[in-house]
Amino acid sequence: MSDEMSDEAVKEEDRQLVARAQAGDISAFEALVEAHRDKVYGLTLRMTRSEADAAEITQDTFLSAYQHLKDFRGDAAFGSWVHRIAANNALMRLRHRRVVQAAEEEIQGPEFTERGSLAEYPLQDWSRSAEGKILDAELGRAIQGAADRLPEGYREVFLLKDVEGLSYEQIAEVTGDSIPAIKSRLHRARLALREAIDQFYNQGSAGG
Amino acid sequence: MYTCKDAINLLLNFLDGEMTPEESRHLKEHLSGCAPCVDFLRTYKATPGLCKRAMAQQMPKEVSAKLTEYLRARIKSAS
Repeated sequence: MSDEMSDEAVKEEDRQLVARAQAGDISAFEALVEAHRDKVYGLTLRMTRSEADAAEITQDTFLSAYQHLKDFRGDAAFGSWVHRIAANNALMRLRHRRVVQAAEEEIQGPEFTERGSLAEYPLQDWSRSAEGKILDAELGRAIQGAADRLPEGYREVFLLKDVEGLSYEQIAEVTGDSIPAIKSRLHRARLALREAIDQFYNQGSAGG
Repeated sequence: MYTCKDAINLLLNFLDGEMTPEESRHLKEHLSGCAPCVDFLRTYKATPGLCKRAMAQQMPKEVSAKLTEYLRARIKSAS
């Protein structure tokens, strides 16, 4: 509840800053940049995995936002607007890069018996311990590693949906893929990541 | 009767609230008799939140200083 309210307050502050920036107040635009740069940089760094690319795309994103500020109508939040510009720019950069892709068959997921039952039962339900305030650093690294191993199209969809919070429609717009294809990749990506987290929580009990 | 595989294939739609009434009934039936799948569902549901926290990044100070400098120069030259 309080999160939602503060979210609304942020949006309202952004609306006021956008109006001032549209009227030519550069310090208002700088305040918008300051409020959103971490998220934009985070998105571009996660997607490109290159600090240099992320810094450059962040610059391009905010410059482009400034140049198109007059067209921004304010029916969407400023944050999601720059987020989409950043996602677009990062994807364009990735598409131009030739990356050695992991094959789709290599995506981890649960294994099933011939009859369709889970081959291995979860040893423990870690969903509760996952709610703890501080994320275990090793778990963080395990998740980052698993995300890195996803084939690019799966990784993109996972990052845009689960980390950046874009809607399926927005992802379809940015990637040019169909919503069913996006959902199918997201599901497989989540299964692989769930598997990695499961292995992390069970590594201690594997031997005993 | 759904298998574990059928049930797990539907988890994304289940969490998005996008299942047909028939799928919903079959899934509920399966989950009511399959404790491992209930655990699986809980951990599947917890996965995106954990991943979001693990992937958080902050912009290093020197990068944000450069960003401000860059934008100021470009905005100045455009106006």
